[in-house]
Amino acid sequence: MTNTGINEKIFEIRFENHQFSPQTLMVPANTPLKVVVVNSSRERIEFESFSLNREKVVEPGESVTVKLPALRAGSYDFFDDFHQDVPEGAIVAK
Amino acid sequence: MSMCLKVALRYLLLFGAAAALRCAAQLDPWEFEVYPYSTTPRGVAEFETDNAAVVDGHAAGGQGTASGTLHSQGMWYNSYEVTYGLTDRIEAALYLNMAVPEGGGLQWAGDKIRLRGRLLDQETLPVDVGWYLELEWHKTPQYDDAVRELEFRPILEKDFGRLSIVANPKFEKVLAGTGHDQGVEFGYVAGLHYRWARSLSPGLEFYGGAGLIDRAEPAGEQQHYVFPVVWGELPRGIEYNFGIGCGLTRGSDHLIVKFNLELERFVGAILRASPERGWLF
Repeated sequence: MTNTGINEKIFEIRFENHQFSPQTLMVPANTPLKVVVVNSSRERIEFESFSLNREKVVEPGESVTVKLPALRAGSYDFFDDFHQDVPEGAIVAK
Repeated sequence: MSMCLKVALRYLLLFGAAAALRCAAQLDPWEFEVYPYSTTPRGVAEFETDNAAVVDGHAAGGQGTASGTLHSQGMWYNSYEVTYGLTDRIEAALYLNMAVPEGGGLQWAGDKIRLRGRLLDQETLPVDVGWYLELEWHKTPQYDDAVRELEFRPILEKDFGRLSIVANPKFEKVLAGTGHDQGVEFGYVAGLHYRWARSLSPGLEFYGGAGLIDRAEPAGEQQHYVFPVVWGELPRGIEYNFGIGCGLTRGSDHLIVKFNLELERFVGAILRASPERGWLF
């Protein structure tokens, strides 16, 4: 986790070996944050979260930044919409 | 009756009919859909069919959702749309509008193309802002007496947790055909969508039109609809939106059932990724 100094924290989710890592990302509740999705694989993915209303294509070897508002405590899904067999992950705000 | 009077009466009747037919133009019955801030991802194609059946409508042309000579009662509006994500912020779409009037067969009703985009990134502004530009053309006076129309919509979205509030105010100008010498028409599309579960979520959608910006129609003749909807994703990634719309005014059709289906597939990007700090492309 990185703190940008403007009360906004940065987290990373990596996609490799056909799965996200970490599967469960713990973040602080009630704090705006950014999640950098790094695609270290050779396949194109679509990082999507239904509950967070986010959807971004990530090319192989590239990364995208997903801005999120201050989240209430709870669990928020994320998945690869291009590959239904990739295990779903969760962002857990505490 | 003199010949001059007959000619004058004929023109008066034609003008009156044309004016009446324009009343419904700012509402697009081929597309009961609320456009969110997010666009189709770059390189992804979306195939969609939108359907609306007028269960309880009007028996005369130019009333309710009918903008042409055919009446709305029993009409099935059927459109096919292909959308492609040009960049991470802009998509382009091509539409084919078809219709089945009461007692008739499937007919071509017009085409349209559009560009839609989102500005900046989500959560950058207090309200996420996008834009929509559409050119529609048809030579099917039985469905619409305008030949070419240009439409612009700002797109405004705000998320409150799992609830999204979206507004698309619509500004439409007839470029050719009946009404080309008139001003800009105003309509709206808006929605409240709650993300409950991926397979099934509830929503409330609103569609309407008020007439010309500088000359709104009397309230009772305007069209306003509210659609309780359910939406979500079926197996194999097929997304649906089903709703029952109730007309709120005398000028609206009374009951419309809509059913939209869409499927997204990556087909290949032709442009490079948009810059993270970009605002338009």
